[in-house]
Amino acid sequence: MSQSKTMAILKDNLWTNNPIFIQILGICSTLAVTNNLRNTAIMTIGVALTTAFSSMTLSAMKELIPRKVRMIVQVLVISFYVIIIDILLRAYLPDVSKQLGPYVGLIITNCIIMGRAEAFAPANPPLLSFWDGLTSGFGYMAVLMAIAFVRELLGFGTLFGLRVMPEGFVPWTIMIMAPSAFFLVALVMWWAKNMQAKGQAKPAAPSAAQPAKA
Amino acid sequence: MKRDSIPYVVLFTFVVSAVFVTLLALANEGTKPLVEANKAYTAQAAVLDALGIPYADKAEAQRLYAASVTAIEGTNPRAYRATLEGQDYIAVEQTGAGLWGAITIVLAADPAAGRIRGVQLVAQNETPGLGGRIEEAWFLNQFRGEAAADGIRIAVGAESKGTGDRDSDNSLVDGVTGASRTSSSFEVIVNEALKRVRAVAGGAQ
Repeated sequence: MSQSKTMAILKDNLWTNNPIFIQILGICSTLAVTNNLRNTAIMTIGVALTTAFSSMTLSAMKELIPRKVRMIVQVLVISFYVIIIDILLRAYLPDVSKQLGPYVGLIITNCIIMGRAEAFAPANPPLLSFWDGLTSGFGYMAVLMAIAFVRELLGFGTLFGLRVMPEGFVPWTIMIMAPSAFFLVALVMWWAKNMQAKGQAKPAAPSAAQPAKA
Repeated sequence: MKRDSIPYVVLFTFVVSAVFVTLLALANEGTKPLVEANKAYTAQAAVLDALGIPYADKAEAQRLYAASVTAIEGTNPRAYRATLEGQDYIAVEQTGAGLWGAITIVLAADPAAGRIRGVQLVAQNETPGLGGRIEEAWFLNQFRGEAAADGIRIAVGAESKGTGDRDSDNSLVDGVTGASRTSSSFEVIVNEALKRVRAVAGGAQ
């Protein structure tokens, strides 16, 4: 595994091809879990680990998987890891497990996991697939934590459950509800695309920038 | 065998499923005692919380539970009897409909259910941050010592300050702001639990 390639994957998954604001995957969980930082942290760690391990496993098996049933196998492997996470949480971290409740099961519905299993793992070696899955999870985590930071701060006046806003602060109830995540995701997309467009505009020749006006 | 031939596909799918499912079954069996112990502890802890008995850790909770609480034989859902400082209390588990799913609580009160000793939440699936706030301490602590001879009422809408009602003689507690439906459901569940305390005290199962 060459260093330039691992760095390229990292940059791709965190920025140029971020799962949330470029691929627009995993949006349901972005709306559901981001009203407090603790749940968001646990959910995104779960997604990152599941993506990493399932991509690695599927990549290791890629020579054996028949094309006809590859999706069935992908779902099987992904659900295997999700259930393992659920079992381990219930046995060793019962408090966290109780808090998360249905969210753990919802990891499997995250499109990022299957997206990486389908797009990256079949064409790359296991370790690189693991790295790709993990960094995709980090890209997802970065955006969700940023959104959860704003939502928890304004919605509850707390960060990780600790009060930071002054006593007289009136919480914005809208921030706790799903619609605020829509606004914030849209703002993040707007900002990121703008930044990326600026980054591309600088080195590119003027002629390349022209068609964008049309 | 070719990778896309039918026999290979069938065999492969079968073997892969068998391997992964076996691993899951092993993991599940291996952690079963731990999960059961966690469940038992959660149930005991909820009863202790409802009775207002403080405990520092798992071992202390088990010791205190064994010392002061007895489960009443044959009750379903479970009911418990406890004696604290010479006063008898009855704790009952009660499940009712919330806004999204079932809410389960443990409520402790004196046998006539004239005053609530305490309420502890066992399970809920309400909206996180809105109805889900019924598990917060400020909400549940309002029930501690609340007069309940004629049942209790949970204030919703403009009547609720949303910060907690400190008067324990008015049989009224504040609902959660933005979660009137959950608060009203909670009121029904608490009142049902109070009825059951009286029934259990009268010998019902």
